[in-house]
Amino acid sequence: MGAKADKVMDVCLQAGEIMLTYGAETYRVEETIERMARAAGFTNVHCFSTTTGIFLSFEESKGHGDLMQMVRVDDRMQDLNKVAEVNQISREFTSGILTVQEAERRLDEISAAKIQYPIWLIHLAAGAAGGGFSYLFGGGLYDFIPAFFAAMISSFTLVKIEGYLRVRFASELAAAFFGSSAAIAFVMLGFGASIDQIIIGSLMPLVPGVPLTNAVRDLLSGDLLAGISRGVEALLTSLSIASGVALAVSIFL
Amino acid sequence: MDLLLEIIITFIAILGFGIILSVPRRVLFIGAGIGSWTWLALQTGLHLGINDVVSTVIASFTAATIAHYLAKKIHIPVTTLSIPGILPLVPGSRAYFTMLSFVEGEYLDGLEFGVETMLQAGGIAAGLVLALSLFSFGKGIGNRYETGS
Repeated sequence: MGAKADKVMDVCLQAGEIMLTYGAETYRVEETIERMARAAGFTNVHCFSTTTGIFLSFEESKGHGDLMQMVRVDDRMQDLNKVAEVNQISREFTSGILTVQEAERRLDEISAAKIQYPIWLIHLAAGAAGGGFSYLFGGGLYDFIPAFFAAMISSFTLVKIEGYLRVRFASELAAAFFGSSAAIAFVMLGFGASIDQIIIGSLMPLVPGVPLTNAVRDLLSGDLLAGISRGVEALLTSLSIASGVALAVSIFL
Repeated sequence: MDLLLEIIITFIAILGFGIILSVPRRVLFIGAGIGSWTWLALQTGLHLGINDVVSTVIASFTAATIAHYLAKKIHIPVTTLSIPGILPLVPGSRAYFTMLSFVEGEYLDGLEFGVETMLQAGGIAAGLVLALSLFSFGKGIGNRYETGS
C-alpha cells in the first residue's frame, strides 16, 4: 500500500465525515468522495454512505493495491457552513488547485472550527424566527414579543440540556416543554393574546428542516436506506416536540 | 399593506432560521429573500382561490427552482438555499392543532388536522422533487435509475 493512497483515503473519509455530520445529503457525500479519489488518480472508486457511516474502496492502479476503509458517524448536527466549505475544498482539490497536504490541513481547520455565529446570536435568531412565525400563523402583532422570548427560552434549553445529557430526543422534548410552558406563562401573566400562535412560535426553532429536506432528496436519488432513516429521524424529532408540548399543555392549561 | 408587513416579517424570521442552521454568511440574505418570495407566492395562490395544497406545491416549486438556479451560479450546496426557501411553508400550525386535538380527546378533529399536515408536507416535497427533476433532465439524478440504453 503506497503512502499516497493511505493519505488520500484519510482525506476523502475526513471530508465525507464532516459533510455527513453537519447535514449534507448522502448523494453529495458519495459524489464528493468519489470525485476526490478519482482526481487523485485512483481507479475503480466506490463509495457507499448511509446516514450513520461511510464505506470507501478504490484501487491504486487497475487490478493492484485494493484498499477499503469505513468510518462510523455518530453525531448529526446542523452547520450548513461547514458543508459548503468542504464542498469548496473538494472542488479546488478536484481541479488541481490544492495538494493532498493542503486539503488535509484545511479539513482539519474546518473540523476544529466553532460554529460561525456566536451562541447569543443564535438564541436571538431563534427568538426572531419564533416571533415571526407566530405572526405569520395568525397571531397579532403584539404576540411577537412573548413568542420571541418563549422561542429564545426553548433554544436556550435545547443548547444547555443537550450539553449535559447528550441525548438528542430528550433535550428536544425538554426544550419543547420549557418553551411552551414559558409561552403559557406569558399569556397567563397578560403578555400576548393568542396562546396557540405563541406556543407554535416558541416551537419553530426546533423544527427538523434539514433532515426533512435531505430525506426527500435522498429518497429521490435512489438512496432508499439513507432517505428512510433520515425521514424517521425527522419523525422522531417531531414526535418528541409534540410530546413536550402535549405535556406542557395538559399540565398548565 | 398587510402583505408587505408579512413579507418583511418572513424575511426576518427566515434570517433567524438561517442563523440557527448556520447558513454561510454570503448567502444568508439570499436565502431570506427566497423565503419571502415563497410567502408571496403562497399568499398570491391563496388569494386567487387556488386550494392550499396546490398553492404550497407552486410556492415550493418556484422557491426550489430559484434555489437550484442560484446554487449552480454561485457554486454552493443547494440545501443552503432551498431549506430557507421552503421553511415558510412548514405546516407548524396544523401540526400543533393535530397534537392539541389528540390531547383533548377530539380524535376526529385530530385526524383531520393530521391529514392536512401530511398533505401540506407532501406538497412541499412534491415542489422540491419537481424542481430537482427540472434541473436533472438529461443527466439523470445520480444516474441510479438507468433505462437500459
